[in-house]
Amino acid sequence: MSRILGIELRRSAAAGAVLMLLLAGVILLYVAPQRWSPGWMSVVMIQREYLVLLWPLALAVGAWQSRREHRSNVAELFASTARPRAQRMMPTLGALAIAVTCAYLATVAAVVPWIIGTARYLPATAFVIAAVGALAMIAAAWLGLAFGRLLPHVVTAPALAVAGIGLLMVIPVAVRHREWLALIFSPMFGMGQYTDYQTVYGRVSAAQAIWLAALAGAGAVLLASGSWRTRVAALLPAILGASLAIMVIPRDDKFVATPVDPVAQEQVCAEGSPQVCVSRVHSGLLPEAAPVARQALALLAKLPDPPTTVHEDTTTYYPATSPPRQAEVVLMRITVDEHGHLADKAHILHEMVTTLGANTDGCRGTSSSVPVMRAAGYWLLGREPATDDPEEPPEVNAEAVKLWQGLRSLPEKEVAARVSTVRRAAMACEDLGGLLTGRAQ
Amino acid sequence: MRWLALYLRSRRVPIALAAAAGSTTVMWSLWSIFSNEREVGAPMVILTVLLLVAAITATLAGPDDALERTAALSWPPRRAAHLLAALAVVAGLLLATLVTGARFGPAWLVIRDAAGLLGLTALGAVTIGATRSWFLPLGWTLASIVFPLSGVKSSEILTWQSQIPGNKTAAVTAALLGVGGLIAYAVAGPARRAPAEAAL
Repeated sequence: MSRILGIELRRSAAAGAVLMLLLAGVILLYVAPQRWSPGWMSVVMIQREYLVLLWPLALAVGAWQSRREHRSNVAELFASTARPRAQRMMPTLGALAIAVTCAYLATVAAVVPWIIGTARYLPATAFVIAAVGALAMIAAAWLGLAFGRLLPHVVTAPALAVAGIGLLMVIPVAVRHREWLALIFSPMFGMGQYTDYQTVYGRVSAAQAIWLAALAGAGAVLLASGSWRTRVAALLPAILGASLAIMVIPRDDKFVATPVDPVAQEQVCAEGSPQVCVSRVHSGLLPEAAPVARQALALLAKLPDPPTTVHEDTTTYYPATSPPRQAEVVLMRITVDEHGHLADKAHILHEMVTTLGANTDGCRGTSSSVPVMRAAGYWLLGREPATDDPEEPPEVNAEAVKLWQGLRSLPEKEVAARVSTVRRAAMACEDLGGLLTGRAQ
Repeated sequence: MRWLALYLRSRRVPIALAAAAGSTTVMWSLWSIFSNEREVGAPMVILTVLLLVAAITATLAGPDDALERTAALSWPPRRAAHLLAALAVVAGLLLATLVTGARFGPAWLVIRDAAGLLGLTALGAVTIGATRSWFLPLGWTLASIVFPLSGVKSSEILTWQSQIPGNKTAAVTAALLGVGGLIAYAVAGPARRAPAEAAL
């Protein structure tokens, strides 16, 4: 059996399929490396999203392979042999399954050298997500084999690929608000990352795996069957798998629409003081982030009772959550560039200091607060206030510059006290208007 | 006329035409049933062009090309005419829908993509054989539908199939592919195949 499998691997479309899928997958990944450079979870999830192309191609590969018998005119000859059809199909099924799995996993492996230096967080979930992706490829290839045998025409394979991509594009629209349904039936749905902390929960992966295994089973039965009665029986595993998956999948928004991994958000701290922490998913960037964070703390140290710690800002918009407001903690927003390194360090420092290290997430800022905050922040930076927002009315920055000039004429201690008042007011979500002006005390 | 009838039969043109017409009907019905809009979405139009071109792929080689080549006929004009007729069929089928309730348009997009994809398919038929010639058009077009890029010239060339109809770069790319495919196929003809694959 293994000898036949070996021959089948060499003589079937397997090798060509590996090459083609690998090429397509690697091109897709490297066209936009910033989508997966934050870490291993991003890699496996984005790779799952690219199933939108790889899945239809796997269908086409199966259908193409299945035409071989028809092309070689040996159907009658094979039908006259004693070997049962199901047994004869096993090596083909095996060869294609091996091929598409290898291609899928090799694509993931192709990005390893790119981010191995910066990516640290590798939970077991990442392996599960990749395994479900490989299972989706196997299901597609086997289904393609089955359809290719039922309709042995040269146009079957491309038509099947077009139908496959159409299906993947239509499912999210067709299910309307029942996103959990799309999550079962489309292996690429919901895999685009809103945040670097996103994940796929185990029960969701389990439901997907059940459905895909059932689909692969249906394809195998359809391929091995010789009569219409057994072909209809191939519907049975598909229906069973679909109902089981629907029972297993959680429908709560926490699992479906906004799956965030709390372990990825946990803070991991650098050695030395002052304390600097980033989320676990970004822990590989700690050596790059720590100097920037300490520089910001040094600038903020001009204030009376200054903040002492830097944490990563783990704010997510879906779900809308934010770290707690603490006076001694400055939040740092971390973005990863396409090489997996910390993006735009100067901007991070600027952002931390001009917000005075205050977490104002969820506050409704009033228009009078903006110039005050800016003047205070730029006083800490030791520069004249400026804006990089071209849409902002010029009066805002002019007002900030006026306040800043007023601060420069005051004694340093007095200014530090006023800026500290602004910081406390900002953290309490109060109106900041007028806090920097007034007579020196 | 007798020659033409025999030629069309040897290239399995009737079944290819039936497949093309069938695909158009299916896509047309899908849009008519599931959408209230008259103008068909661009991805759907491009996918339909791709399907029709794939259906025509099968006619690019006969059952025995080696034998065909020995005939005392001038093949290049005939092969060129075959490709041009294929373009007319693809464009004709889709442009006919412009008068119906689901319009597969705009016309320029259909013609550009049909010409470019047919040229690409013909290039494939010359190099890797007619039965495999749909590989590259399929993979390329699906990728460009899912991830359309615009702005930079190189990315417009990479995703020429899904550019807006007025895009010059895409038009030039399609024209180059179309003309290149036409010339290569007319001059060289389909690639010779191993005897085992002779029957489609």
